Amino acid sequence: MSIARESLRIHGLSCRFGAVTAVDEIDLDVPAGQMLAVIGRSGAGKSTLLRMINRLQEPSTGSIAYGPTDVTALRGRALRDWRRDCAMIFQQFNLIGRADVLTNVLIGRLNHRPWLPSLLGLFTEAERAMAVQALDRFGLLDIALQRADTLSGGQQQRVALCRALLQEPRMLLADEPIASLDPHNARLVMDALRQINREDGLTILANLHHLDTARAYCDRVVALDRGRIVFDDIPDRLTPDVIMAIYNITEQEFHAADTPVAEPMRQIQ
Amino acid sequence: MIRAGSIGPAEITAARKRLPTAFAATSWVWSGIGGMAFLAWLILLAVWFDITPTRLAGGLKGLLVILAQMFPPSPGAQWADILHGLLQSVAMAFLGTVIAAIIALPLGFFGARNIVLNAAAHFSVRRFYDGFRGIDQLIWALAFVRAFGLGPLAGLMAIIAAEVFVLAKLLAEAVENTNKAPSEAITAAGGSRLLAIRFGVVPQILPIYLAQILYAFESNTRSATILGVVGAGGIGLQIAERIKVRYWDEVCFIIILILITVALIDRCSATIRSRCA
Repeated sequence: MSIARESLRIHGLSCRFGAVTAVDEIDLDVPAGQMLAVIGRSGAGKSTLLRMINRLQEPSTGSIAYGPTDVTALRGRALRDWRRDCAMIFQQFNLIGRADVLTNVLIGRLNHRPWLPSLLGLFTEAERAMAVQALDRFGLLDIALQRADTLSGGQQQRVALCRALLQEPRMLLADEPIASLDPHNARLVMDALRQINREDGLTILANLHHLDTARAYCDRVVALDRGRIVFDDIPDRLTPDVIMAIYNITEQEFHAADTPVAEPMRQIQ
Repeated sequence: MIRAGSIGPAEITAARKRLPTAFAATSWVWSGIGGMAFLAWLILLAVWFDITPTRLAGGLKGLLVILAQMFPPSPGAQWADILHGLLQSVAMAFLGTVIAAIIALPLGFFGARNIVLNAAAHFSVRRFYDGFRGIDQLIWALAFVRAFGLGPLAGLMAIIAAEVFVLAKLLAEAVENTNKAPSEAITAAGGSRLLAIRFGVVPQILPIYLAQILYAFESNTRSATILGVVGAGGIGLQIAERIKVRYWDEVCFIIILILITVALIDRCSATIRSRCA
């Protein structure tokens, strides 16, 4: 039942794209079981940071360690195993639209099994039972045989979460998990993430746009600005004054810069 | 928490009870029978065509002899004839494609479900295109050689006749796949149906149609090389004559010239397409 969960230690991590430095010398320790929000405006380096942790993006310099494992040195099989261990969910869900929900969820098992049966699309009864359990947990059983592209955004993200859970991950990376969802579905997905964090003890790193979401759901908030960490504390300390001091704008403006707001703009340039 | 280790027979039974369809097994018997039948059919065809290893080996040997005779490629004595034929092929393909594209433009719209709203009309128009598309370019060429006499005019007509219905079908599908939101906005702004098509549909299909025309030009250049074999003008006549007298080195030279020409057209069309995307 218990898989050893370790802490994630990031040291001096940078990522440069040509002349642009997306992530700049970041140091970050995430203890096992923490639910951490990474906030920042568009282009602050949130996605790059998360994508470096599972090595979808190669770091330019610096190191990432998970317990005794040097993540930045992993190659081949070991790298694929690490990616299985730190499951990721995406802003656009990244499901296979033409495949049914069950198949999408079973994708989470691919790293646990030999490749030939997978290539032929053969999954065992035990794996199917796992998928059914996961779908049942988030109230998705009724749509298990529907094609993924027929689902609403909120359903798709929860299916993506089931896929992530079938990886039996040791931590979860959530890259803007609710940025494409309406408020109701956003809450369903965030509730599910917190449930996984509390019940399964899974470490979660979530990139979030909205500060209120970060405050409501997370144990700790890290704020990025131009690739650097400018705030790292419990959510209660993330007051409007702090936002003003860090970003030099009000919290309202912080949100308005990235998300459409249904109110008239105060000034038009 | 979901763990593979915690899944036993009891859990599988419970899950199966929750959602039986998730465990629907593919029928191995039927896939097996289907696979065997397919294999039997392939073997039957091979027997029918008398495909035997001996015949294959004999043919392969003949092919190697031809290949050996192709090198080194040589232009032979009639450089001018070859160049003239090649230019004629390209010109036939170009002119034929342009004329076909112009004729296909209205036909494409008439074939689109969202333009011709009557289902019966749409269906019959599309089947009409399908019917004519079934006639190969070479058949058209044979017919036109009889009607117009030997020479590039027959070939040109063959290219047009064969290409019009292909382009009309592709255009009709492109029109059907357009996003209807822009034309809805034009209708909402008080525009007529014609204007809704002009501003709501045409800008969406223009780059697609252009790409299709460019591809048709390239493909017609390739197929126009064969039209000369039946006397419909172009480089094909030069090839056919040289094959008759087994001047394989000159045939090879002409093939290389055709490849270079097609590659050049492909490169140009890629440039144009990337600028118009």
